[in-house]
Amino acid sequence: MNARHIGIVAKKELLGLSAEKTIVFAILLQVFIAMFSSFLMVGLTAMYDPEALEGYSTATYGVGYAGADSALIDEFEKRDDLILHRMDLSPALAALRDRKIAAVVYVPDTPPDAEGPVAITLYLVQNDLQSSVINVKIKEVLQGYERELREVRADRMTAFPVGLNFPDAGDAESFYEFVYGLLIPLLVLLPAIVSAALIIDLITEEYQRQTLDTLLSTPITFTEMVAGKIAACFAIVPVQAGAWILLLELNGIAVANAVPILLHVSAAGLFLILLGAAIALHYRERTSAQFVFSTGLVVVFLLAMAIPYNPLNIVVRLAVGTAGPVHWLILLLVSGATALLAFAVAAYGRRVGKNSPTAVR
Amino acid sequence: MSLASSIRTIAVWEMNRSMTTMGRGVLPLAAGLLVLLVLVTAFAAESGIHMQDGIYRIGIDDPDVARIVDADTRFTVETVSGPALWNNRFAYDIVVIRGEVYAADTGKGRAALTALKRDYEGYVSRIAAGEPDLFAGYPLWIDLEYVKSEIDFLATQSGQQIGAPANARAPSVPSGPVEAVTLPPSTIPVHEEDLRQHLAGMEKTNPLSRYTGIVSSGSATDGLRTPSELSPPLPYDALILVFVFIFPLYFTSQFFMMSVMNERVGRAGEALLAAPVRPAAIIVGKAIPYFAIMLLVSAAITFFIGAPLTILLPLIPVILFFLSSALIIGMAARSFKELSFVSIFFSTLATSYLFFPTVFANTHVVSLISPLTLVILELQGEGFTAAGYVYSTALFFATSAVLFYAGTINFREERLFSEKSLTSRLMDFVAGAISRDRPHFSLFLLAAFTIPFVFMAQMMLLVLFFNIPMPLSLVLLTVSAAFIEEVAKSVGLYAVAGERPGFLTPKNLLVGAAAIGFGFLAGEKLLLFATLSQITESIFGSVLFLSLQVLWMPLLLHIAGVLITGTFLLAGGKRAYVPGLVVASVVHSLYNLHFLLGGLV
Repeated sequence: MNARHIGIVAKKELLGLSAEKTIVFAILLQVFIAMFSSFLMVGLTAMYDPEALEGYSTATYGVGYAGADSALIDEFEKRDDLILHRMDLSPALAALRDRKIAAVVYVPDTPPDAEGPVAITLYLVQNDLQSSVINVKIKEVLQGYERELREVRADRMTAFPVGLNFPDAGDAESFYEFVYGLLIPLLVLLPAIVSAALIIDLITEEYQRQTLDTLLSTPITFTEMVAGKIAACFAIVPVQAGAWILLLELNGIAVANAVPILLHVSAAGLFLILLGAAIALHYRERTSAQFVFSTGLVVVFLLAMAIPYNPLNIVVRLAVGTAGPVHWLILLLVSGATALLAFAVAAYGRRVGKNSPTAVR
Repeated sequence: MSLASSIRTIAVWEMNRSMTTMGRGVLPLAAGLLVLLVLVTAFAAESGIHMQDGIYRIGIDDPDVARIVDADTRFTVETVSGPALWNNRFAYDIVVIRGEVYAADTGKGRAALTALKRDYEGYVSRIAAGEPDLFAGYPLWIDLEYVKSEIDFLATQSGQQIGAPANARAPSVPSGPVEAVTLPPSTIPVHEEDLRQHLAGMEKTNPLSRYTGIVSSGSATDGLRTPSELSPPLPYDALILVFVFIFPLYFTSQFFMMSVMNERVGRAGEALLAAPVRPAAIIVGKAIPYFAIMLLVSAAITFFIGAPLTILLPLIPVILFFLSSALIIGMAARSFKELSFVSIFFSTLATSYLFFPTVFANTHVVSLISPLTLVILELQGEGFTAAGYVYSTALFFATSAVLFYAGTINFREERLFSEKSLTSRLMDFVAGAISRDRPHFSLFLLAAFTIPFVFMAQMMLLVLFFNIPMPLSLVLLTVSAAFIEEVAKSVGLYAVAGERPGFLTPKNLLVGAAAIGFGFLAGEKLLLFATLSQITESIFGSVLFLSLQVLWMPLLLHIAGVLITGTFLLAGGKRAYVPGLVVASVVHSLYNLHFLLGGLV
């Protein structure tokens, strides 16, 4: 293999990427996502951890209270963001429908020390952002009431939990796990997936457009052609992942160990690109290759995530600074697997190049 | 050959061909991958998802306390004696010494504290669940009931945010009639054993269950839960539906896109074009198998989640929309990588158009612009009316029809096999729709046909700007709506000027501008009367559809806009197009703002 030839092919593909302005679409896409990002951020965090929503609201909410007197009223009075209104159930529900109040609780006249449970009915507005916020607030009130009832009934209990005293730390931090545990690994690995899909397009296109003959009539050999394309796809992985890390830093999200993260992403990216290249060399037709690759990708990702110390987890640990030296071992393992795959793909490419380089299956 | 029989022939041929190209090598491997997927899923369910392992460091002096976080892989636990722990406390995110919890004063420390609190709650619940007297451990049970409430579109007019309560301190009196309700019973209708089982089951369910629970509900305990089980309702149910319904549709449309692209690769479709069949028959014939597959997939999903089959009705326009855009993208992309990027970009746009309005399902009429909202309503068992169906699907039907038409008239050799760039090909497609004999009539029709796209784009903006405070959102909406309209109106002129350089004379510009103005107004009126009467009543509606009140003023405005852009084109050529657009948009926005402010003051 001639390194200069590989460089020529890689350069040609990179120029093609910028000439076709496909990269413009990729940027447009990211800008578009950025436009919706605040919406997405709130939305995805809410999906990931709905209780984070509470932090979004500083407003006070009215709550309708119907039924018998209970210690629950005192629990509500401890909070200044919930205002209790005593009213009958029917007008309370009508007011809830009008959104004059945010929730209604109905408390039966069960005594606290009764044999059976205290069954409270909580009414909320369906499928509404406000309901999610109010739900979290009322949950805390009800948990307080539950603790009180447990104390009243304590003589009927047999086992007692170990006591822990939590500090009053103010606002809970729920974005942290979402940002570091989900967003960052996905963002830095996205370029690897894009590049793997790209190598399939580049290889199958040569077959389907029958441009391979022309390319191979130059001094460039078949394996050099494949290697050049892989090199081009590989080169843009760390660049994009690095750009994401920079963007995150600009947004005030500090990512520790940026360089080791880029090394891990590059190794995993090369693995996926080689996988894509092998599939493309086998099928030589885009529809089949992309189909098999995208299904295979799901399998690979699911398998990786089920294993402790997988590369995604390592990226997370590195980003929060708790990785320890063990990540070098993982990097070595992933690089080793990538090297093995590279040998296999190279051997396969040489065989294809020798037997029937230009035949379309 | 009659049209029907040639469509059938091509449909059968398309089926056979895609089966043979895909069939030989792919199907066995796909089956193998599917088996692997099932195995891997089982493995992942067994071993858990190890994404966030070890992100927190916690130091504990008591092995009994350490057992609380044993099962939580997010914590790396170190059991050290108290004094040593205190001296080394800054190496940890949390330290627990003699039952006191100390967290680092960082974002990470607070996050770790939240995680520890939840683990502790779970631990306390586990102890309580083991009580012989269940109602001593769990004395409080909550029955959660949901109430439906639709807010008025006009609520945002006063700059009020949705969801913020009115004056919470004032005693609230319902404004409408009060419906008498029966009081809930004071005892719970569920057996104690069932509750115990329910508590045992809660321990095992994985975090995914709350998402799968959306589509298949029903439990023995009738929605009764303890306070700590009270998790907030997901306001984003719709996103799950996007994945369940829309993603398979998008995936299948990719095959159609590729099939169209394959006709162009290496001029493979030449034989097909030479055959004595009309382009419309080729396109319909090629699309029918994919349409059938997409419908079958949707039906299978519907059946699987046990939903009523009427869900398929609002999905049909979505399927058509995906297919028609797949046709255009397949016809326009120059290379495979362009195809990939454009289709990913398009799918993001389409998904957000489908998804964002549905966030307001149940609360707002604006949500009805997405057919997915109908799916949600149907899943909730409420159903939708015929008027609602027309309202939310008309734009999808109209845009699909226009895209299919554009594909059909351009399904010719010189268009399919040219090697031009994406934008100039799309311009060719537009120019192809303009007849040489009666260009002005074509411009009139073209302007009318752009209306559904303009409305779609404006709807998207409406949703996007919905949550921005009032004066700013109105200005943004006015300016961007004007810009979109000016682009849509001038695109025909731009295309024709590019293709036939001699066409753009001052006389032709005047007549063409008038034709476009009339066409735009006619299309606007037609679609408005059909669908959008609900939105036009609000203040946002009056920005977008200002021109309803008086007829000759908007007509003059539309013509003036085209004339401005056209004059720039005439004087400066293609390079002057964008400046022309900007000037026309500014004029248009000023006009809109003038009328809007006049109407408001």
